[in-house]
Amino acid sequence: MVSWILFFYGSVIPVIIVLALIGIKGFVEITRYESGTTFFYKLNPITKVVLGIVVMAVASVTTWWIGAILTAAMLLVYLTLNDGFRKFMYAFYLFLSTFLGGTWSIAPYTPYSVLQLAGFKQFNVIWVWPSYFTAFGYEPYLTVQQLIYGAQVAFRITAVVVTSLLLVLTTTASDIFRMFTKLKVPIAITFAITVAFTTVPKVFDLIDTSVKMQFLRGFGYGKTAILRPFYLLVAAILAIPPTIIYLARNARNLAISVDTRGFRAYNSRTSLVELTYSKYDYIMWGIIVMLIVLAILANIFGFGRTIPYTGL
Amino acid sequence: MKFVEIKNLSVTYLGNFKPSLVVDSLEIEEGEAVLIVGKSGSGKSTLVNAINGVIPNLIKAEEKGDVFVFGYDVKNTPISKLSRLVGTLLQDPESQVFNYKVIDEVAFGLENFMYPPEEIRKRVFEALKVTGITHLADREVYKLSGGELQRTVLASILALEPKALILDEPTSNIDPVGTKQVFDLLRTFREAKKSLIIVEHKVDRVLPYVDRVILVNNGRIELDIHKDEIIDYSDKLFFEGIEIPEHFLYLKKIGAREFKPELLKGYVHIPPKRYDGSEEVLYANVKVTTKNGETLVDTELRLKRGHVVALMGKNGAGKSTLLKAIVGILDRKLQSKVKIIAYGEDISKKNITERGKYIAYLPQNFDLVFVHRKVKDEIEYTMKNHKVYSKERLNHFIKIFSLERYLEEDPLVLSMGQRRRVAMASVLASGAKIVLMDEPTSGQDWYHRDMLGKELMNLRDMGYSVLVVTHDSRFVDKYCDMVYVMNEGKIVKIGKPEEVFLSEGIEDLGVYPPTEYEVMRYNNH
Repeated sequence: MVSWILFFYGSVIPVIIVLALIGIKGFVEITRYESGTTFFYKLNPITKVVLGIVVMAVASVTTWWIGAILTAAMLLVYLTLNDGFRKFMYAFYLFLSTFLGGTWSIAPYTPYSVLQLAGFKQFNVIWVWPSYFTAFGYEPYLTVQQLIYGAQVAFRITAVVVTSLLLVLTTTASDIFRMFTKLKVPIAITFAITVAFTTVPKVFDLIDTSVKMQFLRGFGYGKTAILRPFYLLVAAILAIPPTIIYLARNARNLAISVDTRGFRAYNSRTSLVELTYSKYDYIMWGIIVMLIVLAILANIFGFGRTIPYTGL
Repeated sequence: MKFVEIKNLSVTYLGNFKPSLVVDSLEIEEGEAVLIVGKSGSGKSTLVNAINGVIPNLIKAEEKGDVFVFGYDVKNTPISKLSRLVGTLLQDPESQVFNYKVIDEVAFGLENFMYPPEEIRKRVFEALKVTGITHLADREVYKLSGGELQRTVLASILALEPKALILDEPTSNIDPVGTKQVFDLLRTFREAKKSLIIVEHKVDRVLPYVDRVILVNNGRIELDIHKDEIIDYSDKLFFEGIEIPEHFLYLKKIGAREFKPELLKGYVHIPPKRYDGSEEVLYANVKVTTKNGETLVDTELRLKRGHVVALMGKNGAGKSTLLKAIVGILDRKLQSKVKIIAYGEDISKKNITERGKYIAYLPQNFDLVFVHRKVKDEIEYTMKNHKVYSKERLNHFIKIFSLERYLEEDPLVLSMGQRRRVAMASVLASGAKIVLMDEPTSGQDWYHRDMLGKELMNLRDMGYSVLVVTHDSRFVDKYCDMVYVMNEGKIVKIGKPEEVFLSEGIEDLGVYPPTEYEVMRYNNH
């Protein structure tokens, strides 16, 4: 019983946490651009994409606490955004959920041989899994060291998630379109990415409506409030098919609308607004170069990839 | 030069055996404006898509025959080339935009055609000026009203300076104020001698701006008349489910052949019987504010048993917010104080699932209700959740909404009218006898709105109470007993439809009476 609770804890609890704390509507807010005037809004989208790539690279090739510092630093940047505290809190909840989910999706699968390679000398068993759990790929025992290792690797993921979300929150779809065009990315791919950017908040909005309709139709009727987040999760899953079909119907309209406005008339596009580099970009490029130097130094001084990669 | 020349056209969609559209011959002159009418699924959109090149370039279909647009063979012309000649505006404004700011959306087409930035800027601002939205240039598109959104897309099309425009039900999904703004532009297009094809249900509103009327029915052009002949054919159009004003039929009846105000002197619009309802079943006192303290709704609402009430008013007046506050599904960013008494019981403290037992709610996007793959399961789901399932009850709802033939079907693959009936059965299955509906008439032709009205009358006769948010004044006149008009978060006018429609300054509240009432006002003066 406890094993099953632990099993579901890892896969369900992170989602429940986020759903309970920010609700489905919170996802709409954290995936939609809102205009602002501070530092990050003024950056060229290319700079932000490069920052995301560099953060990912640095977090991947350095020791875990550099990933943790990067995560913390990028989280703090949210405070500088328009309505920053709210966005910071949302991003923090998302970090928490990613961290828990990341840790749990790594820890029980990590073989002891890998832990030894990662420098752990002894193992403290905190739980013994039923033998049939090996069918899921679980190791026979859950150890403290597995959890520590899982948490360390999770910081590599959180740094990337938090940075990527910053790009979404501070860049318009139009600017992303222009950026990709400038980078000579094929126009069809550019369009698909841009539409995905604009569709994500819409998806959550539609799921929210569908979920509310299920509750109104009695889903979870008579059940205690503690179970509500679980019902919310199930309702959100049930809401996916009608949401997808609704979006698919609208996608046809969008396709007609853009094609009858000359989309793909040429292999490239011009731009009303020329994306330029400002002093803010140069500052950020300076930070990016420092991050790269940091990664090199960390590796030279023994703070490189101390943790081996086990299929990640 | 001719705008459109069609000969022996037949369009068959993939997977169909029969053509969805057959046109032996159709010609539209350059500078001519044509109104296309017909029920949903009659072939109107297929016809316009065959003209603007969407068929066969984007929607694959077997197309036989010839379609020429300004001399270009549509089949052999890239859609991008055709889009410089013919601009297309679709029904749902939200699904046509994807840029963040208005100015970016308007520039979209010009950027695609690789105009230099200076030229783009010049044309964008010209188009914004023509459509009257220069002040919105830097606004976020998701914050625009339906009318503003449609004008944004229209500006984007006009910036390409097409010779012709196709407007495919441009006002079906927007409020009367937005509708008026779009129709006002038609005058501008006529003055500019643009060729126009308008697919529209509001025949009487568009008629002044067109030269011809074409009826498409069952995939065929059944009628192609000069607009002056419309009185002669009004009964036929009405019979085919087209929204024809009553006074057109009156003129036909008295033998008039054309529309002249003096011929309408004897016309009197007799409203249908209004029901008074019986005891009060719903009392709601609602105050909704934003976190910044802005009041969105601050009003009281009462509903009687066996009453169908329309809630009308401008976009942003607070209608949908009021409904959501009553059923308890407000956005969590909003703050609310509500007192809800349903059937004498205070349900203000009850949560959504419990309120659902007293009040049923149908959102505008009713497809989002469906979470099961069979109609039967969908209805049972509500009953089982609310612990009121019984075979008799299930059969009762199946019968009310005539769903016997579709029980094993997936609700999402049914026609729009069928889907709406399944959605209604699904929300009412909780046992609630109070029904709140958010814009169920939006985007629907008269045939479907008429069908909905009859369903509501049926529910009323069974003791249900219905509150329906709508902009559709003709629907309200025909099927509602009472109208509440909201403005700036308050219900500011209550009365029978005829009282509200004939009251002074009603247009200022975003309510545009059916043209029958305009005739009555004219006659009274």
